[in-house]
Amino acid sequence: MADPLIYLLDLVVFVGIYGILSVSLNLEFGFAGIANFGKVAFFLVGAYVYAILSALGVPFYVCLIAAAAAAALVGFLVSLPTLKLREDYLAIVVLTTGEILRQIVKSEKAIANGVWGIAVSPAIPTLGMPARVSSLVNIGLVFGCLLVCFLVAQRLANSPYGRVIRALREDEVAAEALGKNRAKYRAQVLALGSAMTAIAGGLYAQYIQFIDPYMFMPLITFTVWIMVLIGGPGNNWGALLGAALVLTFDRGANIIKDRVQNLPIDPGNLQYILYGILILLVLFFRPQGLLRESRLRTRALEKVGRGRDTAQGQRS
Amino acid sequence: MEETLLKVSGVSKHFGGVVAVNGVDLHIKGGGIWGLVGPNGSGKSTLFSLVLGMHHCDDGTIHFLDDCIDNLAPHQIYGRGLVNAFQVPRPFQRLSVLDNMLVAARGHGGDRLLTSLFFTRGWQQQEVELAEKAMEILELVELDRLALSPAGELSGGQRKLLEIARGLMADPTLLLLDEPAAGVNPNLGRKIFEKIEVLWQQKGLSFFIIEHRLDLLFDFAHWVYVMDKGKIVIEGKPADIAKDPRFYQVYIGDTDAPDS
Repeated sequence: MADPLIYLLDLVVFVGIYGILSVSLNLEFGFAGIANFGKVAFFLVGAYVYAILSALGVPFYVCLIAAAAAAALVGFLVSLPTLKLREDYLAIVVLTTGEILRQIVKSEKAIANGVWGIAVSPAIPTLGMPARVSSLVNIGLVFGCLLVCFLVAQRLANSPYGRVIRALREDEVAAEALGKNRAKYRAQVLALGSAMTAIAGGLYAQYIQFIDPYMFMPLITFTVWIMVLIGGPGNNWGALLGAALVLTFDRGANIIKDRVQNLPIDPGNLQYILYGILILLVLFFRPQGLLRESRLRTRALEKVGRGRDTAQGQRS
Repeated sequence: MEETLLKVSGVSKHFGGVVAVNGVDLHIKGGGIWGLVGPNGSGKSTLFSLVLGMHHCDDGTIHFLDDCIDNLAPHQIYGRGLVNAFQVPRPFQRLSVLDNMLVAARGHGGDRLLTSLFFTRGWQQQEVELAEKAMEILELVELDRLALSPAGELSGGQRKLLEIARGLMADPTLLLLDEPAAGVNPNLGRKIFEKIEVLWQQKGLSFFIIEHRLDLLFDFAHWVYVMDKGKIVIEGKPADIAKDPRFYQVYIGDTDAPDS
């Protein structure tokens, strides 16, 4: 805490990493209606694949791509047993997958040193440079990846594909009766969302420069869920807003708790109390989240819509 | 009447101990309005769900345009042009009426992940054409002014119309309608049937309709099947069926004596 700026820059890096997570969950849950309660599973896959590969001297961008591919594969596999079941079963399967994976990496010393964890080298070495420079490098890297994920999500949301996955969210049976292969779309969205999650995992590993199984508790999943629910499911900007708000709030409460005295409660709990109040307030006053679901826009639709508006204008 | 569209041969389905459909044979040819009537629980909707692949039959085969469709999934059957409008409308509530229509389009290039992401040019033009087509159909059912409102805001009757309009969006070879006039006011019911007749006349579409409003169905259908206790008991032209004493037995129900 010697340099307050470092603290702020650290927050920004985390907003970027969690921004990727919440954008990916928003794609899965906000648009496609897939209740992915196992975000941390894919986050873990990403972090571990990145760590293991980078230890072998593989360049960081290859590590990130490999992490994304591995998690996409896991996402696809996880969706397989639930293809014929309703979505709630998928939620249970992914939830347990996360914990199973964590137990495996914890018990198997062969995988990244088991319970002891493993050091990860930073993507772009900044050894010997000031801490601020290192933070800025990470911000650039993380926000570059966030930008790619955001653009992909935004483009899908405003495309015929986005329309189909929204329709599946609204009514699976009707969408299937209208010719949409539910299993295929679910597997694709889960694979894509998992790939994004894994990129966040890889970035996290190289930023912290160390990973162990205890960093991948289910709490991460639920933090990301809170971000999406607060920001507004079905809105990519909302996902980013949610990530920024929740993390700022978390950090803020953390700082305040060191400064206040004579509280009737244990200051260690203050953070969680405020957290709970925030969630309650949002659920109470804006259950749909801070931002509304974004309207589906394609250039073609705008053209038709504009044509109609003018036609109506003439009529009236 | 031309080629055979739908051929149902000896189809049976039971749920536990209840035999819902029991050895049904049907023959639907192109270019007509076909009716299916019968008391509640006679197996009409189950028969539809078997044809649409939502359930699989225990016995018998279903052919559509000479291909066996027994084991296809609903989305595959849809892909072949056998399209359904649900009895209780199932609009995608938070999507606009126009988006509801566009979801139903068959073979939209942008429905594929990679095309949507990377080959925007590949589907933009198609999207314009489909949207224009959707607006034409919406105009026909008088929903065009609501095209941009969420489907969840529609009234019951409008949802019914949207359900049918969505079915039309797929250019169906055969459109199955499960009680299109149920739950709407009597005038709208007749209006829906008039639209159906217009579509049959102008576009040569074929319909297979379950309906409890017999007055309507008998005015518009060309051929009617009567179902009772899982079996087709009579078939014929509406005028002939209306005279058939067996038809009144089915509805008034002195056939209700327990099966021995």
